[in-house]
Amino acid sequence: MSIALTEIRRSPLRFGLLTAAVGLLLALVLFLATVGGALLSRITGALERQSAPVLVFAVEARRNVQASLIAPGVAERVAAVPGVAAVAPWVTRGFTLRTGAGLRDGTLIGYEPGGPGAPTDIVEGRLPRMNGEAVLSALDAEAGFEVGSTVRVLPGGSPLEIVGLAEGASFAVQPTLFTPYEGFTAIARRAFPDAGPVLPSVLAVAPAPGEDPVALARRITEAVPGVEALDRQTAVASVPGTDAIRSSLGLLLGLAFVVVVVVIGFFFLIFAVQKADVFTLLLAMGTPARSLVGGLALQVVLVVGVGSLLATGLLAALATTGDRAFPISVDPGLALGTGATAVALSLLAALGAVRRIVRIDPAAAVRGGGGELA
Amino acid sequence: MPALMMDEVRKVYGSGEQAVVALDGVSLEVGDDELLALVGPSGSGKTTLLSIAGGLLRPTDGAVQVGPHRIESYGPRELTRFRRTAVGFVFQGVNLVPFLTARENLLVAAEIAGVERRRARARAEQLLGELGLAGKEDRLPARLSGGERQRVAIGRALMNEPALVLFDEPTSSLDSRLGAQVMELIRAEVKGRGTAAVVVTHDLPMTRYADRVVEIHDGRLVT
Repeated sequence: MSIALTEIRRSPLRFGLLTAAVGLLLALVLFLATVGGALLSRITGALERQSAPVLVFAVEARRNVQASLIAPGVAERVAAVPGVAAVAPWVTRGFTLRTGAGLRDGTLIGYEPGGPGAPTDIVEGRLPRMNGEAVLSALDAEAGFEVGSTVRVLPGGSPLEIVGLAEGASFAVQPTLFTPYEGFTAIARRAFPDAGPVLPSVLAVAPAPGEDPVALARRITEAVPGVEALDRQTAVASVPGTDAIRSSLGLLLGLAFVVVVVVIGFFFLIFAVQKADVFTLLLAMGTPARSLVGGLALQVVLVVGVGSLLATGLLAALATTGDRAFPISVDPGLALGTGATAVALSLLAALGAVRRIVRIDPAAAVRGGGGELA
Repeated sequence: MPALMMDEVRKVYGSGEQAVVALDGVSLEVGDDELLALVGPSGSGKTTLLSIAGGLLRPTDGAVQVGPHRIESYGPRELTRFRRTAVGFVFQGVNLVPFLTARENLLVAAEIAGVERRRARARAEQLLGELGLAGKEDRLPARLSGGERQRVAIGRALMNEPALVLFDEPTSSLDSRLGAQVMELIRAEVKGRGTAAVVVTHDLPMTRYADRVVEIHDGRLVT
């Protein structure tokens, strides 16, 4: 083992370059995973960070909040299902917002204050107490579009005062405002006076204490015709488009991991070939092959481990200069998981080098490195 | 008990029509502090004999005893253990670990054998001093001359105080003056420590440093 460490110390350029290459590749993996996570959160955050553990969709909407309309009378039938503690309407629609910073596209969400479906992570200000007040997704706050400012909802020009900021509460990658349901209907009627009645997109359901949201969702779906109830996690995972994003990201991450593994595998294989003489000498001197393999494994773990730390450091540096729309942050769990996966896969990739070492014939030391025996 | 005893040792490579007899009934004894020179033309079986004595190869037939070890029946693990404690090697082609200093090249032999670190360091310092390498302990092999590298290899072979040291063409890459110095050093070390040594060489003038010269032809000893 000490030979393996000494070798690293004596070959700083070789191991430094490999570690830097692994670090950059792992930084790419972490960056993609972080940006992907941020993008998904910007698409689904409003569903993920609202208080209702169960959401009820119109079955024909196929789990799409924006396509779902709950018919009158359904809320009462859902409320009658055993295990349901409370039901509230939850509605969403896209509008144009006139803010102090100009015109913005935005999503308006109507929820029942005091009922299920309210934004959960208020980081500044408070929840709305009356119609005409709203909470804004925190990432979208900027000068003229912040707590205390008033925006106009177009068409119609209804005013909304921003009274709080909710962390991670974006929907469809747009600035998102949570406002009382009654106020939402007034805004919608003013904007589109010729449209029919404003119906909820989904129903936000609070289960009775001790009730499992997944089981309750199944029960609601079975008991109420024309609806599909989902627990929050499933509803978030079912938002249209997110599957494709997850698959694409998974593919990119997988590809990056493959590159890491191939680089490590080839490096140590070339290394084993180049060092065949040294391995032969050490084996001839009586070093067990498992010690040489252990030394190699130690080098792999150190290279990938330090590369992972380097990658985390790079991401942390990026986080300080990141884009506000897709903020980069260092998730210790993700960094640790990525590092551990990279170490495990790299050890597998080094099996080629290991195979080469264990097949060395120590008698080759006397043959001067592979000549025929005299 | 002789340091090395070989009795009717045969080594055959391959089988059937492809079989090549490398050693054919070799019997040999090397005494406790004896320096034996083994000479012979290329392909005569010198290297095979050395490899069998050092536990790098197993004989096809016959008995091989090194000190208390009857190694002809040893399995791969026992041979590995035998090589790290009972014999020392100075190889011709592959000799030093290039990324270890002179001192570390000696210490690595002790580390492999599990010698306590402080004791190993003291032994390495003593050997390096005796071998005229004082002041060059921290040099990598690339910064040592050919003769110095050979001396480090000799030091490494002696590090664990083996009963038998095997030298494969120790002077082949050296000029005659350096070669003579190295052979003098080998003799002094072997005699000073009561260690037995077998030196394989093509260089006949170097055999004058040996107690006994044994010639091998076509796998058979010629006295």
